[in-house]
Amino acid sequence: MKIVGRSVERTDAVAKVTGAGMFITDFSLPGMLFGKTLRSPHSHARIVNIDSTKALALPGVKAVLTHENTPRKRFNTSATMTFTVPNTKPVLDQRIFDDHVRYVGDEVAAVAAVSEEIAEQALKLIQVDYELLPAVYDPLLAMESAALPIHPCREGKNIPGNIVRILYNDIDKGFEKSDVIVEGTFKLPVQKQAQLETQAALANADANGNLTVWSTTQTPHPTKIILSAVFGIANSKIRVLNPPYVGGGFGVRIGCSAKAEPIAAALSLATRKPVKIVYSREEDFIASDTRHGGYVFVRLGAARDGTFQALELKGILNAGAYCSFSVETPGVLGAMGLAVYCIPHANYYGHSVYTNTTPAGAFRGFGNTQAMSAIESAVDMMAAKLGIDALELRLKNIIKVGDPWCLPYPCQSTGLAECIKEGAKRIGWEERGKRITNDPHKRRGIGMGVSTHVSNSWPFCVDYDNAIITMQQDGSMQLAVGVPEIGCGSATTLAQLAAEILGVSFKRISVVQGDTAATPFDIGSHASRTLYAAGTAVLAAAQQLKREILQYAAEEYHISVEKLDIIDGVIKDIKSEGVFVELNEFVWQAHLRNRQFIGIGQTVPGNAPPWQAHFAEIEVDLTTGKIDVLKIVAAHDVGKAVNPQIVEGQIEGGVLMGVGYATTEEIRYDTKGRQQSYNYHNYMLPTAADRPEIEAVIIETCDPSGPLGAKGVGETGTTPTPAAIMNAVYDALGIRFMELPLNQERVYRAIKRLEERV
Amino acid sequence: MKRRITFILNGEKMDIEVSPGQMLISLIKDDLHLHGTKKGCARGECGACTVIIDGKAVNSCLIPALKVQGSIVETIEGLSTPTRLHPLQQSFIENGAVQCGYCIPGTIMSAKALLDKKPCPTVAEVKMGIAGNICRCTGYVKIEKAILEAAQIISNSI
Repeated sequence: MKIVGRSVERTDAVAKVTGAGMFITDFSLPGMLFGKTLRSPHSHARIVNIDSTKALALPGVKAVLTHENTPRKRFNTSATMTFTVPNTKPVLDQRIFDDHVRYVGDEVAAVAAVSEEIAEQALKLIQVDYELLPAVYDPLLAMESAALPIHPCREGKNIPGNIVRILYNDIDKGFEKSDVIVEGTFKLPVQKQAQLETQAALANADANGNLTVWSTTQTPHPTKIILSAVFGIANSKIRVLNPPYVGGGFGVRIGCSAKAEPIAAALSLATRKPVKIVYSREEDFIASDTRHGGYVFVRLGAARDGTFQALELKGILNAGAYCSFSVETPGVLGAMGLAVYCIPHANYYGHSVYTNTTPAGAFRGFGNTQAMSAIESAVDMMAAKLGIDALELRLKNIIKVGDPWCLPYPCQSTGLAECIKEGAKRIGWEERGKRITNDPHKRRGIGMGVSTHVSNSWPFCVDYDNAIITMQQDGSMQLAVGVPEIGCGSATTLAQLAAEILGVSFKRISVVQGDTAATPFDIGSHASRTLYAAGTAVLAAAQQLKREILQYAAEEYHISVEKLDIIDGVIKDIKSEGVFVELNEFVWQAHLRNRQFIGIGQTVPGNAPPWQAHFAEIEVDLTTGKIDVLKIVAAHDVGKAVNPQIVEGQIEGGVLMGVGYATTEEIRYDTKGRQQSYNYHNYMLPTAADRPEIEAVIIETCDPSGPLGAKGVGETGTTPTPAAIMNAVYDALGIRFMELPLNQERVYRAIKRLEERV
Repeated sequence: MKRRITFILNGEKMDIEVSPGQMLISLIKDDLHLHGTKKGCARGECGACTVIIDGKAVNSCLIPALKVQGSIVETIEGLSTPTRLHPLQQSFIENGAVQCGYCIPGTIMSAKALLDKKPCPTVAEVKMGIAGNICRCTGYVKIEKAILEAAQIISNSI
């Protein structure tokens, strides 16, 4: 391959390094108003009375909206809950504003004014009388009979949607066959995406009845359909687009979490002016979706020789106050958790539980990070109990191509064994337990964790892709595709795929994306799917375009079409290498004869498992409890790496997010349901100064379902990182932690408890 | 009551009225329409709005606009010309240090302030130089490499 596999420079890089690239915070429209949102100070309450008279009287205020004067239509801010596959019922539990608030930060009202300052002032003049209700913050307590229902639910107290059950042969028989059984319940924290650009939207309802919304969404088309349903405006009259750049996503922008888009749209419809809402960092923390915290129970059984016999997995996640992705996340937790090892008897039971906390939704790893933190700890517990090396135990049990598994699509490729071996070599696995420090107060440890993930969301939600490549008159091409560029490099890699097929320089292809008016439907940029799934449509479009061109050329030169190809921008006879014509010239001549070439790709992509083996080396300070993650080796089977530099970047960023999850990051709530970490200064993200050495290793396989063999990589850097660190900490201290993050306080207390016992 | 201040911005003399409560980031973005400087938290915690004042990298969201009277201020727009990128910018591109791009202008300004003072920084100095710039995409690996490489290129060209 000529272009696929090369680390070409990103097409959006110059705009981003010069500061010329536009994000939503950077632009404004003539006559634009500023929107601000009033949020509930209470974790659970009914609004008895709301009076906006004083706010409306403030000069400069153009509109005040509450539950009394906005559409009452119920919706779900998550893209996939809006597009549930047939036979699953969407959970529609949100309104723009409601007379019932369910968490601290819930949207109560909004103001549009001529300046941000006046809008802020007006918020203070809205009088709200609340009737306080009992609140609950822990998912286990929220299921108990004493808890107040936060929403009506079918399957049990405060359980949104369906309980997920995956049964794979008789689990009891599996444990009967097991000589050794390990089990544990792991408590996992709430993590925040903390993407650099906060949730934001700019809406413009024009006089002709059209609604345009510039949005930070990862899914412009689904967001358009949600807005259409809420406001009763035809799909065709709404345009949702990125500005074009989006300051990170990591899942929080799949749909319209925290409702900046519907609120800005409602304000614009009320004032007939453009209205821009940019959430503050604190609003982004307390009101936009988080990762699901909760409990994962795992029970693993194995024969004496180490062959796994049974895996029982249970996930009870904290949904927070609204459903968002709380049905799908426990589903992925179970599906991915059961997919790594070949285990004849397996069982999963999982669901989320509503509580009066910030809604939890999509976050890089999507339930899988939670699953593997628990499962990979249990595998190490098993290795210790059996006296088998933890690496060998994994190699013995991992899924191989053709093995039966619980997923509704086949495993057609795996490089996991190679990832494990290569990663082990680079971390120095054989020195596990032997690395010592000169400082008697410090201990070192090495640990590992493995995982798989999806490359797409099919068949778990509506999932199809379209791409259109339009040949321009000078031989350059425009590729239109509905997935946005949220930082993952899709504008570059999708063009690489098209250029490879079309036999032209990659610079000839310009990509139009993230705009519903310029592209047909695409579910969006999520589920590690952008390159894998949209790539299949781009490939199909490129192939069709090439066929069109070559057929026209065949007629022109009276030669069979099979004998023609486009090589380096020239139409050639494959056999004789004889040049017929430069593509540019050919396309121009066709234009003069009233012909334009257009390739359309419409695909329902499949799914494929990428595989990961992570190795961590850590150092613990026994006097302070501080864990220093020294090094992470992350070996990934990504299928074909279309742009290795971009692939490495995805892995490195994902790894550091996993390091944060394992060691410092956590949203905690006080007794009144208020977040205690609602800004960067009290939510501890890793910085350059405290990151480990990260070594990303690419292991290439070729998956037949992916575009030119590629698989997903967007989320996979995060999934096995926490487990590798947890297992390294066990190696260093002999303490098995069942709760994350491994912050200084937790580790220090555990060391002290151990010392007291000794 | 607005007050008139003069300062140098990206080599150009500015003479402009500012409000007493106005922060430098608002002067740069809202009044002067230089949108390369990004707003991530408005509390001096993320570094996305980093600019250089008299050689020092600072969060422009924490500096009252009035304070830049008589100062030399550099923003990301001052680093390149339409035909020529700064070695730091070039190095960020070549090393794949850019993903979503929101933190990048601020990080490059922190790196420039560092290299202006320390043309050949150690790895630890690079890490400390950008420790105030949060990036959630890259894990900082390629950013640090880009800065170290740019330092070498700049030193070699002097």
